[in-house]
Amino acid sequence: MILFFQQWYSELLKLFARRRTYIGFGAFVALQVIIFLLIKKFGLPTQRLIAGAGENVDYYLSALTVASFVVGVSVFLLGALFLSLVAGDIVAKEGEDGHMRMLLARPISRFRLLLLKYLTCTGYAVFLIQFLAWSAFLLGLVLRGWGGGYFAVVPEISVIAFYDWTPGLQRYLLSSLFLGVSMTAISSIAFFLSCFRIKPAAATIGALTYVLVDFIMRTSGFMDSYQHLLITKHMSTWGRILAETIDWPLVWRGYAVVLAVNISLFTIGYAVFESRDLKS
Amino acid sequence: MALLEVRHLTKRWPTGRLALDDVGFEVKEGEILGLLGHNGAGKSTIMGITLGMVRPDIGEVRIGGRSVQKDRGGALQQIGAIYEAAVFYDYLSGWQNLRALCSLSGWWDEAEVKRVVQMVNLTRAIQQKTATYSHGMRQRLALAQALLPQPKILLLDEPTDGLDPEGIREFRELILHLRKHHGLTIMLNSHLLGEVEQMCDRCVILKDGKKVFEGPVPSQEKSRRMFQLETSDIGLAREVLGRAGATMDKLGIVEVPLNLEPHELVAAMVHGKVPVTAWQPYRRTLEELYMGLSSKA
Repeated sequence: MILFFQQWYSELLKLFARRRTYIGFGAFVALQVIIFLLIKKFGLPTQRLIAGAGENVDYYLSALTVASFVVGVSVFLLGALFLSLVAGDIVAKEGEDGHMRMLLARPISRFRLLLLKYLTCTGYAVFLIQFLAWSAFLLGLVLRGWGGGYFAVVPEISVIAFYDWTPGLQRYLLSSLFLGVSMTAISSIAFFLSCFRIKPAAATIGALTYVLVDFIMRTSGFMDSYQHLLITKHMSTWGRILAETIDWPLVWRGYAVVLAVNISLFTIGYAVFESRDLKS
Repeated sequence: MALLEVRHLTKRWPTGRLALDDVGFEVKEGEILGLLGHNGAGKSTIMGITLGMVRPDIGEVRIGGRSVQKDRGGALQQIGAIYEAAVFYDYLSGWQNLRALCSLSGWWDEAEVKRVVQMVNLTRAIQQKTATYSHGMRQRLALAQALLPQPKILLLDEPTDGLDPEGIREFRELILHLRKHHGLTIMLNSHLLGEVEQMCDRCVILKDGKKVFEGPVPSQEKSRRMFQLETSDIGLAREVLGRAGATMDKLGIVEVPLNLEPHELVAAMVHGKVPVTAWQPYRRTLEELYMGLSSKA
């Protein structure tokens, strides 16, 4: 087990020693700053909802409410892209560059190597979302200061809730953790495609396309009876953490599906990779 | 004792091209075996199968008695390899690259790593990012990773490819040092005949996926005694030598049978009045052997 963690550490080192990884973090922070500036200038779009509910807008327009909105927008705009980029590269690029041949000249099984890589890219998904949640929160503190309420809204699953600061902060942090787990599904799709003999960019674009089409089908309405077949439906389960009363059975059911999809994608990806001859 | 056994390997690529056709040979302990052949002859495919990266349709490779196809992890514990191009993570230092690769073998011994790094003459550069390395330094780092952790067999896939003449000589001396002082068994894949001739004890020559020769590298041949005869009467010389039990090819190369001494053949020729103008020891080159096999095929 210690050996496994040492090997995982090496994989993480490879990921986090790359300058490109930090360019991703930098891009997110830049996007968040832009969104914050827009909020400062034009206000938060959800302000009307707070007023409409008869609540004190100034109280609920807090660092948490602003951060929550910023995380939602930045994950929607860039989250899938960066996670697909990292996971799409993790096998396909190493295969293309010849690193995979160097690694597999060692007495390590393909299963173990892929598992290490899979845990690295899914771990990155959770880490990235945590980073976004914390950076947005810190920027929110700069904008609105400490304290106030938390207005949580996730329209796609009809969640609207009002919290005071401490329970709001707890819900915000817990939901960001669940959002990170949801996003591992995107990493899994890109990782799965990455296991085929394709260009890394093709794996990234393939994963992005799948998620986008899935999202459009879910929101367009004509798939209402088949929503359970769409991965973005199950990924949106994280929003239920923000409901005043958390429907835990529904949450676990959603994450059971995400987990099952992840395991299936890893298993099929591994089977594909295992059957490949690694030779230039 | 054979440390590496290649048994009846046959491999056909999905395109239908036959990469290997029933190829088999052994590499004995302490031996340096050269795999020779033109591009696409199947040399790298054999390396790939030996490392478990390519699956044979038929046959297997056994390392120290363990089948790569059935127990890859166990078999590869005894091997260090440079397979195809040596590629490193350019944004990591040489040391970090070695650490990442060694972790996959479940091994790390800082003192031993330092010793090997010193042996390949990379001590000063090992903390630098590999992006700054020259091709020669990369090859030396590749050799260092192959030597960690202490393999019994080294597989080298065109290790001097792209090196300058000094680099090639340095690399060759290092390999010979490893065999002499560490008793390493080495399988070397190359299309550089001179390199194989200078480093290897035996060679296997492949052509279009088939083994066309297996035997000692000509320069290492001790049992074969050959002489080059120059004469104005080849017909008479061939007749006299034939009566004595020796053979001569069209270039005048005479192979002396084991039951005869060279001076007995000279005496037979003098007695047979063969007009000998020159009689000198002859050593066949690998190039002659290789080209001969190529032209035969």
